[in-house]
Amino acid sequence: MANTATLTDRRTQWGGGKSPFNISYGKLMMWIFLVTDAFTFSSLLTAYGFIRHSFSGNTETPWPSPDVVFNHFPFLHGVHLPLMFVSLMTFILIFSSVTMVLAVEAGHRMAKKEVVKYMFYTILGGLAFLGCQAWEWTQFIIGSEQGRTLADGTIIHGANLAINEYGPVAFADLFFIVTGFHGFHVFSGVVLNIIILFQTMDGVFEKRGHYEMVEKVGLYWHFVDLVWVFVFTFFYLI
Amino acid sequence: MTTHNEHIEHTDTPSNMKAQIWKTFWILLALTLVDIAFYFVIPHSTLRNWIFILLGIVKAFYIVGIFMHMKFEKKFLQKVIILPMGLVVYMIILILIEGVFTDTVRNLLP
Repeated sequence: MANTATLTDRRTQWGGGKSPFNISYGKLMMWIFLVTDAFTFSSLLTAYGFIRHSFSGNTETPWPSPDVVFNHFPFLHGVHLPLMFVSLMTFILIFSSVTMVLAVEAGHRMAKKEVVKYMFYTILGGLAFLGCQAWEWTQFIIGSEQGRTLADGTIIHGANLAINEYGPVAFADLFFIVTGFHGFHVFSGVVLNIIILFQTMDGVFEKRGHYEMVEKVGLYWHFVDLVWVFVFTFFYLI
Repeated sequence: MTTHNEHIEHTDTPSNMKAQIWKTFWILLALTLVDIAFYFVIPHSTLRNWIFILLGIVKAFYIVGIFMHMKFEKKFLQKVIILPMGLVVYMIILILIEGVFTDTVRNLLP
């Protein structure tokens, strides 16, 4: 018996019965999922890089500058304000990440009321972001009043998967799939946050003795914020 | 009576976590404002693009490190999660070279 005990000691972390990473199974699996999800988003963004570079010598339909495409702001019709609306969206998402991490921090202290408060703010931030994105998409789909005249004389307005007023159709396709995939992540995050908010209000985690579920959805939520940092960089800045 | 039988282990969370969260928020906000300022001040160039990517990576480190608690996790977990991202860098380099090549081929076509 004494021998087996020393053997387990020597194997230290990997002997079983203890997490070698010092985190729970659920959190580790969330991290693994996020790594795979990061690969998916990397593929989408590198596809953007590839197609954009393959258009670098194209003078007929040059890759549009974000200045020209995304220059609208609600209630300020016709004013040229590049980057302003998307900066607001970035700010909303970063701030909802802050309220999320404050909810996690309150969970460590078992402060149920604070967790409820911060989760609620996080959900509000997520919904505000989705609303902004819907508006942004609408502007892009409707397009400008003058539109663009094609070689055969037809005038096209805005963009969809088949036409794009501002440049190559590939730009519109990539914009819709990348921001759409990210937006769907935000939507899933909001749904998860709502479930966790209701469970917190029911006292599920108080009975369980820990608020680890808040940490898990928190990891997911921060990841969504992280992806937006890169979507913002590649679609709107570069 | 817990419904979960898994043992919850806590990695060290610093006692001033709240202060660190707000500090990180101000850093992220400042970096985003720097992004916007550079966008309007510096004319479009490859160098500017690299500055934006670099700032994005700095922001990523703050989000993963503080918000996602990675800074306070075990070294081994940090490596397991972050090192695979090196593959992405490799993919980006290959894909961009291929993109420029595709452009060249397209221009050669009648």
